[in-house]
Amino acid sequence: MQAAHSPRRLPALTFPSFAMLASEQWLVGSHILTALAALFLGIFLGPFQAFRRSPFFMETFTDWQIPFFSYYYQALTVHGVINALFFTTFFIVGFSYFVTQRSLERPLWQPSVAWAAFASIFIGLGLVLYAIMAQRASVLYTFYPPLIAHPTFYIGLVLMVVGTWLVALNLFMTYASWRSDHPGEPVPLAVFALLTNFAMWCVGTLGVAAEILFMLLPMSLGWVKTTDSQAARALFWFFGHPLVYFWLIPAYVSWYTMLPKQTNSKLFSDPLGRVAFLMLMIFSTPVAVHHMFTDPGISMVSKAIHTFFTFIVAIPSLMTAFNVGAMLERAGRKRGGTGPLSWLWHQDFGNPVVAAQICAMILFIMGGFSGIIQASLTLNIALHNTSWIPGHFHMTLASATALTFMGITYWLLPLIRNRALWNRKVALGQVYTWLVGMLLFGHGMGAAGIAGAPRRTDFAGSPAGYLSVEAIPWLNSAAIGGAILLLSSILFYVNVIGTLAFSTKPVEDEAPISTTGDPHAPLILERWSLWLGIMFVLIVIAWGPVFAQVFDFTNGFKSLPFSPMGSPMQIK
Amino acid sequence: MHIHKLEQYWFIAIAAVLGAFGAALFASILVFGVQVPTPVSRIDPQQISTAFPEPGLRDLGNKRYTAHFTAQTWFFTPKEIKVPRGAEVTFLVTSKDVTHGFFIEGHDVNLMLLPGQISQAVTQFNRPGTYNIICHEYCGAAHQTMVAKIIVTE
Repeated sequence: MQAAHSPRRLPALTFPSFAMLASEQWLVGSHILTALAALFLGIFLGPFQAFRRSPFFMETFTDWQIPFFSYYYQALTVHGVINALFFTTFFIVGFSYFVTQRSLERPLWQPSVAWAAFASIFIGLGLVLYAIMAQRASVLYTFYPPLIAHPTFYIGLVLMVVGTWLVALNLFMTYASWRSDHPGEPVPLAVFALLTNFAMWCVGTLGVAAEILFMLLPMSLGWVKTTDSQAARALFWFFGHPLVYFWLIPAYVSWYTMLPKQTNSKLFSDPLGRVAFLMLMIFSTPVAVHHMFTDPGISMVSKAIHTFFTFIVAIPSLMTAFNVGAMLERAGRKRGGTGPLSWLWHQDFGNPVVAAQICAMILFIMGGFSGIIQASLTLNIALHNTSWIPGHFHMTLASATALTFMGITYWLLPLIRNRALWNRKVALGQVYTWLVGMLLFGHGMGAAGIAGAPRRTDFAGSPAGYLSVEAIPWLNSAAIGGAILLLSSILFYVNVIGTLAFSTKPVEDEAPISTTGDPHAPLILERWSLWLGIMFVLIVIAWGPVFAQVFDFTNGFKSLPFSPMGSPMQIK
Repeated sequence: MHIHKLEQYWFIAIAAVLGAFGAALFASILVFGVQVPTPVSRIDPQQISTAFPEPGLRDLGNKRYTAHFTAQTWFFTPKEIKVPRGAEVTFLVTSKDVTHGFFIEGHDVNLMLLPGQISQAVTQFNRPGTYNIICHEYCGAAHQTMVAKIIVTE
């Protein structure tokens, strides 16, 4: 590789603590600003959907429509695809470049590859948005066939995935050259976590890549006449569960490696953090049938195996609760907290960066427990595809991840702009309104789900008596949560635009980066062939029987494509 | 690798909590008999009219019934069935076109309907009333109108 041609030890690159190098500013800035621009489109559609689903709101404002959109499911597709796939990806990639370069004190392996990846994901975003806005792709972010979208939708997704593979290659090669320069040293924890994240992503995306390239895109182009819904769902969810950890691990990077600096504390255990990240990587894939517990084509044995591994994959998050909790206890005691509990409220709640992460954790406790509940095979019967499920993932993706990313934005955007955050009070207001709004929304959605309200359904157009009377108050309270989240989103973008355009003060928050790992971290944790080997074995055990069941080319693969605009209109 | 004593206790707590959840799960299956959908059989979605029985309710006697349903955008066939209180109904359902759902309000019937597969669930109707059968998987523009009814008579 590179090391053979370059001097043995690349001189450490020094990064300014309160500013960015020009190259960094362009690369990280492009990704983060694109992420925030994408989120701007996706975030405001959320509350509008909560309003459409609230019987009280729709009785008060009869026939109210989501502005700029033809119908509910088109807006819902934008909300899901943009927030879950593109905002997250752009933010995670920009953040990963920033953390990797600074932690390893060296430039990326190939900046040109990084720009090629950016272009690929960016064009992908453009194509996907075109397809949805042209009303050719209202298939939601799970795009289950035989609903079929316009080819540009799938080509856009392929470009996004290929772009992220280039990102992974760049990060792996940067690490490899650092590794050869630093024999015997453990890599900084943040980079360790990001490596597990992108390794997991590369494995998981194989499922969705196969689904799109071999099934959906050829069908959309008219090259393939029939498909199989169950096989496509299996491939999608092979990717779908690694996807949720792909969102979560960067937030954990912030909690494990940045929050200790931001709270003047110290992580309880760096090695156990590494074990948690490895477990997330290894167990991310053999659990994903829990998204298909009510599917007819998967055996009870496979469902049980995936249930078992789902319980295992709860362990790293419970380990994180201890490790990060102990770190926060240390921080609280330094601020005057005594006794068994008072450290809890002696936290730096006036700092928006810290407050965002602590609020994200509070919400994630709900997300974690609702996740274990719905992943329990038999309880899932009561909850699958009810509004409980989006209630759950707004506590994970829209809280643990998105609120942490907002907290990261509050120190990262100033570095990109080379100016202080425009207004810290507005940022604090944003964080706490997000907490309150999301608690109301998540609880409302969860309770309505228990009362039988389905997810992803435009209740405003439903026949009378569609909703149970028990669900209605909770859908209304979820809409109040949505209104508070709308306010919170406005506050967030006021600060983003304020920081970019109006801030005059110099940067206040230092980049919270560690350039060393805990020397006690065993190097076996970086023996990637071993961990990827275990991951592969578990995938074969958990997924081999599933794929054997669903890929039946004799009796399966007989269903025709349909447009989401309705039967019997078929795509030519 | 050194693991702090407190963290060792935490591991025991994790194991206990997850063990308790797992035990409850086993009990729900083995003791309370909650059933999870399992494979019934495949079907050619283009041959539903010949390969799948006529949709509707069939009385097997002794308060046992089978109910065959088909789903297509955006309705179920039949639109309504009537059963007496205490009826134990086996539902056999399939889709003629896209992915649909089959969710009965207030009962443990929650099925994905996939073209090419037959889904099955069994439940007992003990409370008189009218219950919605809701398609709970997005199936296109008028998904929110896709609903059938079960009337449980005295």
